[in-house]
Amino acid sequence: MLYYAQSISRLISELGKLPGVGPKTAQRLAFHLLNTSDEEALALADAIKEAKEKITYCSICSNLTDEDPCFICTDTKRDEGVICVVEDPKDIVAIEKTGEYRGKYHVLHGIISPINGIGPEQLKIKELLARVKEKPVQEVIVAISSSVEGEATGMYLAKLLRPLGIKVTRIAHGLPVGGDLEYADEVTLTRAFEGRTELT
Amino acid sequence: MLIKNIQLKNFRNLQIPTQLDWSSNVNILVGNNAQGKSNLLEAIYFLSTGKSFRTGNDAELIHWNKSRAYLKATLYNKHHQFQLESNLFKQSHKEFLLNQNKVSKIQEATKYFTTVLFAPEDLSLVKGGPAERRKFLNNEISQVSVRYADQLKKYRKILAHRNNNLKNNIFGSQQEVWNEQLIKTGSYIIKRRLETVEKLKPLSRLLSRKITAGRENLEIQYLSTVGTLDKSCSIQDIEVMFAEALQRTRNEEKLKRITLVGPHRDDLLIKVNGLNIRSFGSQGQQRTASLALKLAEIEFIKSETGEYPVLLLDDVFSELDNSRKKYLVNTVMDKIQTFITSTELSGINGELTDNAKVFRVESGNITKL
Repeated sequence: MLYYAQSISRLISELGKLPGVGPKTAQRLAFHLLNTSDEEALALADAIKEAKEKITYCSICSNLTDEDPCFICTDTKRDEGVICVVEDPKDIVAIEKTGEYRGKYHVLHGIISPINGIGPEQLKIKELLARVKEKPVQEVIVAISSSVEGEATGMYLAKLLRPLGIKVTRIAHGLPVGGDLEYADEVTLTRAFEGRTELT
Repeated sequence: MLIKNIQLKNFRNLQIPTQLDWSSNVNILVGNNAQGKSNLLEAIYFLSTGKSFRTGNDAELIHWNKSRAYLKATLYNKHHQFQLESNLFKQSHKEFLLNQNKVSKIQEATKYFTTVLFAPEDLSLVKGGPAERRKFLNNEISQVSVRYADQLKKYRKILAHRNNNLKNNIFGSQQEVWNEQLIKTGSYIIKRRLETVEKLKPLSRLLSRKITAGRENLEIQYLSTVGTLDKSCSIQDIEVMFAEALQRTRNEEKLKRITLVGPHRDDLLIKVNGLNIRSFGSQGQQRTASLALKLAEIEFIKSETGEYPVLLLDDVFSELDNSRKKYLVNTVMDKIQTFITSTELSGINGELTDNAKVFRVESGNITKL
């Protein structure tokens, strides 16, 4: 690093802080930026600045948004009575792609994990509670991974919400659609057996 | 279970580039110390479990100045011939291939290959701490049940989270969500261990009587910290007892800041002629009991999977007296493919060497004698 002019090494070290970017990639990116036109490089800087300035948590669902409340919370065609709780904003995109879910969302920004020092107070759980108390809902769907931490988060939510008369459900886990039974691993298959449904 | 062929490249100091003429019966590996005898057993064990029995650090398994190791075995079970391969990279990354297809979970490949390892440390199975006996049960059940191995991993994670909460004085509903999972996963583990001990009970008693010509009556019993269990206990019964035990130890665990009950604290009680031999047995009795339990493990795997595992005997003949040696020989001969390491042939029972194929191990190379 000491071989570079100071502003270049600063750029490299900033880029190197990004996830998945090692020192060599950081170096390559820095030189790429230096070799592009001023406009292009500044457009990137602007985009970062704008996103950082405008993106905030939605005051209702805690999703990342540039207008508060976010476009999902203001959508009047959506069912107000159902809230789907997810771990992070990327999960909303995945569920939205299905085009099947017409309720609202709530983003926790993490899951309970005592080993990593993450308890309920670090998550957007207070916000969820305030939200359902203000505007009653019939159902909260927990759409969180089935890891032990995910399960714990789901159970914790159920403990808080059930006493308020809200139905708390969890999305099913098991076989992928179109997947061959023989290629499923035992653990998934066992779970799928546990969650079997009656044919009618 | 039969190993037809095994090839190794840079596995510790071992190189096996070509087909060696392994016996489907007994194979004896002789050589001086530090030539690589146990490394072969380690390689076989690695292919059947995905880990080493000597180190938790996979990088140690690669030759010290190489960046990659390769293992390949052609195996037969009662129905099929199949191939297991493994690539080990120094950056602690490993992959397994079953019939040349890479598997996403190591167990998907290793579950088809069962082994039982018997090392001098196993002779202290009876004398050692409870952790060793839990490990004995865990290894054994994991070999025949992928679900058990998975639940065990899950249990350890839940336990770590729960203990962390105890350390930070976090109680109430935040701890309850871990309690529920601890009870559910833990009760499954206890139930499986209980069932396994029930199956091992008659096997080990019979084996012990045979080894001692009927003088010693071996009796084993699963001792759980959640309460007194018997074979009729269902998972639901265990869950209830587990919940009660957690309730009972609530104040004590607040003080000690660690989870005090559960399968991670359980033990296997081993009695001979009615006495707990961990405290009251002679060294000889303890060894006989350990041997009987290990041999019972072989029979258990046979009854669960339908065939005998490959047996790996790491330098145990030097630790056994003649009558026990003889019994061990009679058990394995003509029935179980066995790999034995020893510094010299004379230490091994003559009847065995006459019927075995002998290999010499010298600075990482293996040649047939």
